Amino acid sequence: MDVTIRKKELVKEFSPMLLKPSKWSKIWMAILVAFILYGLVALVVQLTKGQVVTGMRDNVVWGIYTINFIFFLCLSYSGAFASGVLHFFNTPWKNAVSRIVEIITVVSLIVGPIFIILCMARLDRLHYLFIYPRIQSPITWDVIAITTDLIGCLLYLYLTFIPDFAILRDNSEGLPKWRKKLYTSLAIGYQDTPTQRRRLHKITKIMSAMVIALAIVTYSVLAWIFSLTLQPGWNSTIFAPYFIVAGLYSGIGVVIIAMYLIRKYFKLDHYIRKAHFLSAGVILLITALLYGYFTFSEYFARWFSHKTHDANLLETLFNDYFWMFILANYIGILVPIAIVFFKKLRTIKTITFAAVIAVVGLWFNRYLIVVPTQETPYLPIQDTRPEFVHYSATWVEWALSFAGVAAFVLFFMLLMRLVPIIPMSGIIDYEKKGKVRRDGLTQQQQP
Amino acid sequence: MKFNLSTYIISFLLFGLFVAPNVMAQEINLRDYRIRFRFKTIKQPDQSRMLEASFIAANKKDRKDRLPVYGAEISFFNVSEEEKVALGTAKTSKEGIAHIILPKDQSYLTDKEGKFTLRAVFAGTDEMKRQEREISTKDVQLSVELAEKDSVQTVQVNAHILDSLGVAIPLEEADVIVSVQGMLSRMVMDEGTIEDGTYEFKMPADLPGDVDGNMTVFAIIEDHDDYGDVVQKKTVEWKVPNSSNQEDENSLWSEVAPIWMYVVLTILLVGIWGNFAYTITNLFKIKKEGQKLKTEPMK
Repeated sequence: MDVTIRKKELVKEFSPMLLKPSKWSKIWMAILVAFILYGLVALVVQLTKGQVVTGMRDNVVWGIYTINFIFFLCLSYSGAFASGVLHFFNTPWKNAVSRIVEIITVVSLIVGPIFIILCMARLDRLHYLFIYPRIQSPITWDVIAITTDLIGCLLYLYLTFIPDFAILRDNSEGLPKWRKKLYTSLAIGYQDTPTQRRRLHKITKIMSAMVIALAIVTYSVLAWIFSLTLQPGWNSTIFAPYFIVAGLYSGIGVVIIAMYLIRKYFKLDHYIRKAHFLSAGVILLITALLYGYFTFSEYFARWFSHKTHDANLLETLFNDYFWMFILANYIGILVPIAIVFFKKLRTIKTITFAAVIAVVGLWFNRYLIVVPTQETPYLPIQDTRPEFVHYSATWVEWALSFAGVAAFVLFFMLLMRLVPIIPMSGIIDYEKKGKVRRDGLTQQQQP
Repeated sequence: MKFNLSTYIISFLLFGLFVAPNVMAQEINLRDYRIRFRFKTIKQPDQSRMLEASFIAANKKDRKDRLPVYGAEISFFNVSEEEKVALGTAKTSKEGIAHIILPKDQSYLTDKEGKFTLRAVFAGTDEMKRQEREISTKDVQLSVELAEKDSVQTVQVNAHILDSLGVAIPLEEADVIVSVQGMLSRMVMDEGTIEDGTYEFKMPADLPGDVDGNMTVFAIIEDHDDYGDVVQKKTVEWKVPNSSNQEDENSLWSEVAPIWMYVVLTILLVGIWGNFAYTITNLFKIKKEGQKLKTEPMK
């Protein structure tokens, strides 16, 4: 196989994705930008009028901003975990999904913390977190962990991009000048020499192990912010592993959804195949079973011990939040299990549908963890105004939440225009090893 | 039928929206609520009298669902068999509470036993019925004496009423609560009964005061059939200042964390950031080699 020719072929194959946005992707981007602008309007309203424009009050001080923060960090963690595992163990089908999970990891790690900043009423005191850190506080651990994780993930993502930057630099005929310059500087002179290759492989492998560890630490710290308090519903010894399993569950879900959309809209059927969906489906099934087990253990222990405040919380969950509870903890777990468990039901679309249910169910599960606990505090609620007793998100919070999701998708789409969503270097490596024979071309050539 | 993913997703989301109770606004049906209109009078430490009406709609099925009736105009009266004197009006707050304060020299229409009757009235609207509550009470003079008797800090509560000639008649029997002011609320120290106009209680010696060593002691007659609520308080410099305890060194709650935390955090951060530095160093080496190849091509 002539590697140089193959590189050219791959650049040619992926160029339309990088250079020519389709009409639909332009429309999508415009819609996403509109959502972000709407969110910016809400942000201005919140900054000028204060947190009173949100549904957060004295008792419920963490609303959907915090839920989104946990949710996005959850995606980031699971993305880092999956990516690290794929690279570290050199998984055979990593090429199809590795870049998707890497981009999910970094983009969600950028979007997630913005929500926690939105949650703060006194942004002018934000720097106090760094000036007066209290080492004993899980909040300080969280700040340190997220900052470290973000830098680690960015570095790791960059390492995995370098060979593709080099390929794009060397085959940049017809590319705009700024792109050529960008690829040249980002490729840092990588020529794929044996020494460079060995060096890059070594640091990528070390970093892949590092991001797995970092992801576990960061997400555990996030769980401890809740579980190290004495609040009913939060004070639990299994919260950290529970968060980690939940994170994996939703992360796999988002990866499947992203695989489905990318496969469909960029016509990458020959790279992202049914086999990938089936493997991801099996992982979804395993994590769903684990997540269901943890969820049951969590609520069962609370119900059985029947401590006064736990009982009050469960009463709130089964009355005020009955349908949300059913949606999050029954439908959100059992339906994906039922779909993926039976071999006959496993198709690309059903697995994607199961993933959507898993992701939506998990968002509601986060809601049930964060909000009802604050509505059943140890000290009686003094101010009995309805908005103090029951939290309800306002349009400002929803607008900023949707803007966050829009920003996530937009960043994802922009990164997809920087480098191919399927690593070209990975395809070449794979073909070199002779494990597959240029599947893309052979399949395309088939009648 | 052809499987359509988007149909599934949209119907699922719609289902989610319809069933998620907090996502959609809820209409309140007044028939599900029971109106609670309560009225009480509190004689305050400065001898003024507060008349307080609370107006709450409580859900018949959900005890936690209590809606304060906001902005309702409540009129307060002092009534006797023949006369009715308007004392004032107030609108209910966001907590559903309306109150007025009558000065200590307020005169009341009393009956021959010295009792006076107070009435709170909500006139009613198209949606809500008229509400009215009445209470009869006697004007009690409550005092608190704080003294050290044989080196024991003692609270003496005295209570009497005045007859029509202004002669003090000690209270025969009334329950009293002795409490001290804390940061958030009052802490009950003792519950006893005033007999023949007096009650005595020995305060524990180990109670901390505020930062100046002051302690505020309350004597409260609560919800009494004849006297309503009566509150009296007195502050005394009895206790040692509640200075913060000597800080433990290196603990979870002290200024500085336990040593092991610093050690673990340092090991973790040095390990991780060291690895970042190692990775960046290797990237520079890759770059250097690339530059070398550029300057000496095809060697």
